[in-house]
Amino acid sequence: MKSRIKDTYLPLKAEIVEIMDMTSDIKLFKVKPYRQFLYKPGEFIMLSLWGKGEIPISITSTYGFHKYIELCIRRVGFITSALHLLKPPAKIGIRGPFGNTFPVEKAKGKDVFFFAGGLGIVPLRPLIHNVMNEKSKFKRITLICGSRNPGEILFKDDIDLWQKKGLNIIFGVRKGLQLLIHNIEKKDNSSQRKVGIETGHLNTSKISFKNAYSFICGPPVMIIETMKSLSMMGMNEESIFTSLEAHMKCGVGKCGHCYIDGKYICTDGPIFSYAELKKHRPSY
Amino acid sequence: MNKVFILDKNYLSYLLRQIRKKMSLVAPLRSENEDIVLKTVENIHEIELNYPASIPSIKEFLFPQKEDMFRFSDGTVDILKDNTKRLIFGVRSCDISAITLLDRFFGENFIDDYYMSRRKNTIFISLVCNNPDTTCFCLRLGTGPFLKSNFDIQLTDLGDRYIVETASEQGLNLIKDHAHLFSKVRKSDYEDQYEIILSSRSKFEKRINLENARQKILSGRISDRFWDWVAKRCFECGGCVYECPLCTCFNVLDRTESEDKGHRFRIWDACMFKGFTKMAGNVYPSENKGARIKQWYFHKLIYYPDHFGKFGCVGCGRCTITCPGHIDMASIVDKIDIGDRRRR
Repeated sequence: MKSRIKDTYLPLKAEIVEIMDMTSDIKLFKVKPYRQFLYKPGEFIMLSLWGKGEIPISITSTYGFHKYIELCIRRVGFITSALHLLKPPAKIGIRGPFGNTFPVEKAKGKDVFFFAGGLGIVPLRPLIHNVMNEKSKFKRITLICGSRNPGEILFKDDIDLWQKKGLNIIFGVRKGLQLLIHNIEKKDNSSQRKVGIETGHLNTSKISFKNAYSFICGPPVMIIETMKSLSMMGMNEESIFTSLEAHMKCGVGKCGHCYIDGKYICTDGPIFSYAELKKHRPSY
Repeated sequence: MNKVFILDKNYLSYLLRQIRKKMSLVAPLRSENEDIVLKTVENIHEIELNYPASIPSIKEFLFPQKEDMFRFSDGTVDILKDNTKRLIFGVRSCDISAITLLDRFFGENFIDDYYMSRRKNTIFISLVCNNPDTTCFCLRLGTGPFLKSNFDIQLTDLGDRYIVETASEQGLNLIKDHAHLFSKVRKSDYEDQYEIILSSRSKFEKRINLENARQKILSGRISDRFWDWVAKRCFECGGCVYECPLCTCFNVLDRTESEDKGHRFRIWDACMFKGFTKMAGNVYPSENKGARIKQWYFHKLIYYPDHFGKFGCVGCGRCTITCPGHIDMASIVDKIDIGDRRRR
């Protein structure tokens, strides 16, 4: 892989043109770079807030379809808190895009599952968008979407649009962070969607997992549990993909913060298959 | 093919003086606390050449502890790059071997401009170790005490004269600029050099085998309990990481002078620290100290050979001198390789 970026550590100037509230602690930032900025689903950028620092953020928009780069950010740490206080227009810097992309070509002609837990829908959104645009090339497409409570399901408009195009949707709502199935709260009366944790639904649906592909994104516990369940239900470990996250400072495989078991999450990842993860991280 | 010359010892200080006129000269000096440190030279006669390996390591000059990357004010960015021409004199072979590896690391995939611009402007004159220290084990790794390639200029002390070898164009040009100081090499000089190297090689005390340790780890015979035992002796001072010429982790931080104005810099970071992988929301992916130490050793003994075909250790012995808990590379490799059954 040869670098596409001339100055590895120099951010490209950009401007936040719009900020939208998604939930109480999640905001959608629309960023306009000063130069052309090409990106693919699954890649991430390093976002610089001058004087505060730099953080890795995954891109949630689709190149060519959305006018701006969209970033969906939860208020968690120092920089994200500062970001949430910004008012447009605000000057920021972006670097990238970094990382690999979802190997969606492989999944053509097969059943495709997307598992999104909470903010996990963010990196999956451009992928689902691309897949829905080429719907005929895939067999059945299913999105299994989970969140803490019904109010925190992100991108509802997009989901409705995809549903109209023929995407199967299963919604799951989980109280707090408890993962046990008997703790599921059945509160979502508004729509007749199934309620429960993501993996809980899989046992009931009559789908063959043998030749299917799945893309998982969410909190670490959910990723591990989903991967384990899928593999137990017969899905090939090489066709289960997830996007990992880590503390990063450079995004180019130099700073060493995301270096785990011989792999840099920033340059070798962030998208890994279950087979790779198992090889490098016995804990999975 | 390396070009070989002879330099009379009396000419050395004259040569360095000439070089200093053109570029900044860095050499080992004795500090107030009797430590050997690499510093910019003020008086050439103060250069101290009778030492095994300097503390801190050579990486300081290519990858400084704190390096300013760029200034920003109101969204505009000015790159800060160090373009000082430097000659570093009196470096040891282990450090030169480390730089060869660092060049590969910083130069692959995404090129690290800051390292590369410093590297381009730096030329090394290395010195063969006649008297290796008790902590040295470069001989076991093939990274010293005498190098056959990958150096700019290498000197071997033959008593009253140096045998001078060049392996790079940069080094040869430097010699050509001062050609009148160098004389032709004779057959007897080679014989003397061979003798010196042979006697130096016989002086190494540490007999550790990294390959054996690697094989043992790969075979899965070293359990996590071993690393937890090692962790009990770790003070988390980060000394091993800061002194290691091959440790390259860094943190990037911003410092503001006023609102929207300031600079971004990078500083060394250490994977031995708990906060190294800390994520937003106080998530610590590597909270276990044993796991962090395991990561450091795995990086040097497993991942480095997998990726570069060489160990991530050059046998300089700095961690042995620095570590207060005696869990440095040499002792741990020895424990893994030979060990004692009670502990494993």
